[in-house]
Amino acid sequence: MLKPSTLAMILAGGRVGELGVLTHYRPKSAVPFGGFARVIDFPLTNLMHSGIELIAILSQYRSYSLINHIGTGAAWDMIGRHRGISILPPFKDYENPHWYRGSADAVYQNLDFIRYHKPAEILVLSGDHIYQMDYRNMIRYHNEQDADLTAAFIRVEKKDAASRFGVAEIGDEHDEGGRLISYEEKPENPKGHWASLTVLCFRPEVLYEVLKENQSNSSYEFGRDIIPMMMERNMKVYGYKFRDYWGYTGTVDEYWQTSMDLLGSNPKIDMEKWGLRTNLEHRGIRDCQPLKVGSSGVLDNSMAYNGCIVEGTVKNSILFPGVRVEKGAEVKDSVLFFNTIVKSGARLDRVVSDVNTTFGQNVQVGVAGANGPDKVTVIGWNNHVPANMIIGSGCTVAPGISVEKWPQQGLRDLEDLQ
Amino acid sequence: MREAKDALVLLLAGGIGSRLNILVGHRAKPAVPFGGLYRIIDFSLSNVMNSGLTRVGVLTQYKPLSLMRHIGTGEAWDFTGRTRGIKILPPRTGEKDSDWYKGTADAIRQNIDFIQGNPSEQVVILSGDHIYQMDFDAMIAYHRHKKADITIGMMVVPKSEIHQFGAGIVDDHNRIIDWEEKPKEPKTNLASMGIYVFDTKYLLDTLSRNRKENDFGMHIIPRAIEEDRVFAYPFYGYWRDVGTIQSYWETNMDIIRPDSEISPEEWEIRPNTEADGLPMDRAPGRFISGCEVHSSMISAGCVIEGTVVNSVLSPGVIVKKGAVVRDSVIFEDSVIEADARVDLAVCDKRVSIGRSAIVGYGDNKEIPNHKFPSHLYTGITLVGKRAIVPAGMKIGRNCIVNPGYNGDNAVSPAKLEDGGIL
Repeated sequence: MLKPSTLAMILAGGRVGELGVLTHYRPKSAVPFGGFARVIDFPLTNLMHSGIELIAILSQYRSYSLINHIGTGAAWDMIGRHRGISILPPFKDYENPHWYRGSADAVYQNLDFIRYHKPAEILVLSGDHIYQMDYRNMIRYHNEQDADLTAAFIRVEKKDAASRFGVAEIGDEHDEGGRLISYEEKPENPKGHWASLTVLCFRPEVLYEVLKENQSNSSYEFGRDIIPMMMERNMKVYGYKFRDYWGYTGTVDEYWQTSMDLLGSNPKIDMEKWGLRTNLEHRGIRDCQPLKVGSSGVLDNSMAYNGCIVEGTVKNSILFPGVRVEKGAEVKDSVLFFNTIVKSGARLDRVVSDVNTTFGQNVQVGVAGANGPDKVTVIGWNNHVPANMIIGSGCTVAPGISVEKWPQQGLRDLEDLQ
Repeated sequence: MREAKDALVLLLAGGIGSRLNILVGHRAKPAVPFGGLYRIIDFSLSNVMNSGLTRVGVLTQYKPLSLMRHIGTGEAWDFTGRTRGIKILPPRTGEKDSDWYKGTADAIRQNIDFIQGNPSEQVVILSGDHIYQMDFDAMIAYHRHKKADITIGMMVVPKSEIHQFGAGIVDDHNRIIDWEEKPKEPKTNLASMGIYVFDTKYLLDTLSRNRKENDFGMHIIPRAIEEDRVFAYPFYGYWRDVGTIQSYWETNMDIIRPDSEISPEEWEIRPNTEADGLPMDRAPGRFISGCEVHSSMISAGCVIEGTVVNSVLSPGVIVKKGAVVRDSVIFEDSVIEADARVDLAVCDKRVSIGRSAIVGYGDNKEIPNHKFPSHLYTGITLVGKRAIVPAGMKIGRNCIVNPGYNGDNAVSPAKLEDGGIL
């Protein structure tokens, strides 16, 4: 039993356009989340607590941030004789001149890596969801059913799933789940109400076979191509019903909402109790001193890691390491990434601010009137918002806007600055 | 860029530090937690690292386990690599020496083989229990420039405090011409910080002259001043010996002052992230609606529902609703239950203060601790590791709740008078 029997493949290649400026320079899985961590830390921590210690990460888009974050894998204790995290970037060789053309193609191109490890099960995960799950329960169910594929689903309202998720009808044979009755990818009028979580457990020989066959296709996605193909062939496909919290981060609004779910006296995920791990060497957050709250500082229903200095007022917000909120500044309903500085007199309301951004004195962001759209404003990294600037609600500011580009009249609601 | 060649560092970490009372009941003084995330020794080790010095011996003697665990491989301070390293040097038996360390100089003498085995031109001798930031590279460069045999880090302290230190009188070139060890009536206000740079050859020679000279301050230095070249290296920054409960508490409070002179992060002081309980792997601190926090340092993993004012909290401290923590230092994973009050106290790890209990009750800070009047006399109360203060209990000023106290024999509502011990 010393050698791991499960190999996990994390799909971390994508950029996800809807997250806009947050993913200009990093893949979605490397987007900061939870006040000190990154999105991919959630699946990695799940794997760690599930005792799965052999992991490959399929990475394509701007992979540096991700490679830097994974480091040696020691942060999740994934180093040792049989433990490890391998990053698998796209490559060219004799037969293959492509980038990864889709999630299934990415796995297919690395079949020799997978075969080398001779896994008993292959777990394919998406790298961009916020959830707590012990994969062992699902793998046990998969093996009990002797399934070819077991996929995890969560119950949703049909209208919420329309045109958005892979949707299934699942039989009621067992408490854990049942045979998949139907599966549709992003249907307009879903038949079922179980949405796919992109947590897939495959029997290896079957995966090899279907991936090979898929190569003659022109689309290479697990949800769109592989699962429907297996359903069509009447293979043993089971649905595992996941009944806990599932947080999406696919759009800025989802990202914001999932962040807010961490606040309050009963957070949806208690990261401290669970033992969420991140790589403390990334951005050197291991070297931060404790959070310093000044004599005029106020923290209310908020979260802040080491390395922050709070002299102003912070409400319903999440502060990453190195954030400074000066005296007289007010931060509300916001998520401020590493080293964001909020100068005195500035007011932020519903803002997601990427790293190294400074809000000058008396800047106002998202402080809309009563009829404002009340949407999230996103500020890209390395920005210096000039003093007294007024930015509306639902605005998007690209990374690194130069000083002369800032319009004197500010940004109206829903306006973008490129 | 580094000025001096790689000197060998010897860190004296063996003293009992008994004035820190129950805080050193199960750990050496350098291993006492400080400033929320740190241990006292992190300051010395980080200064060594930031000075570019890469070979360190740590001389331990008293309850070294906690310290050894904390230092680990030394990776936290970049002391791992092919030529870098940190070694623990406990007292040991040998052909000639088979005794405990009898003093600072004796401890170094018993490790002459370590000094010889790590060839160097200078040896830096430090103690592991001071809070400061200092560049030893500049000090070594100064030592070489002065062609000194010994250079001693010295700073000006108030005359009222000089009786705790070695005091030196210098000439116009900073050469030390007279020395008084812990003088009752001082002639100078220049105090030794217990930081020495020795020429290695000179150190080996002077230690072998008289094997009865066991202490640097009492024996070696006074003789060297008469016979050899001893210089003072003036230091002007923040420096504190945290050897007493009062100075330990004050130094913690110094970090949270608005005009604070200490900033561990700016000083690049590095804690050990791999230490027990993985102190940095904690989720961000959570501040629940209705909490109130001012002038404090709060580490990751804390959950604050109540009020925290003027206090330093280590990771994982929980302050429940209605609880008030004021002017206190609270170590890892302690829990302050609802409506409890902690006022002017130092609570060790995993302490539990029961519902509506009061630690630091009443206004009379004048009655010193009955058993340790010289340790606790300013009103500070100590609560030992894993102690449980029962719900509703009132504990006065200058009190000690011993480690592991579980409230078994307490009558309800129990009360501990000022200066008492549980």
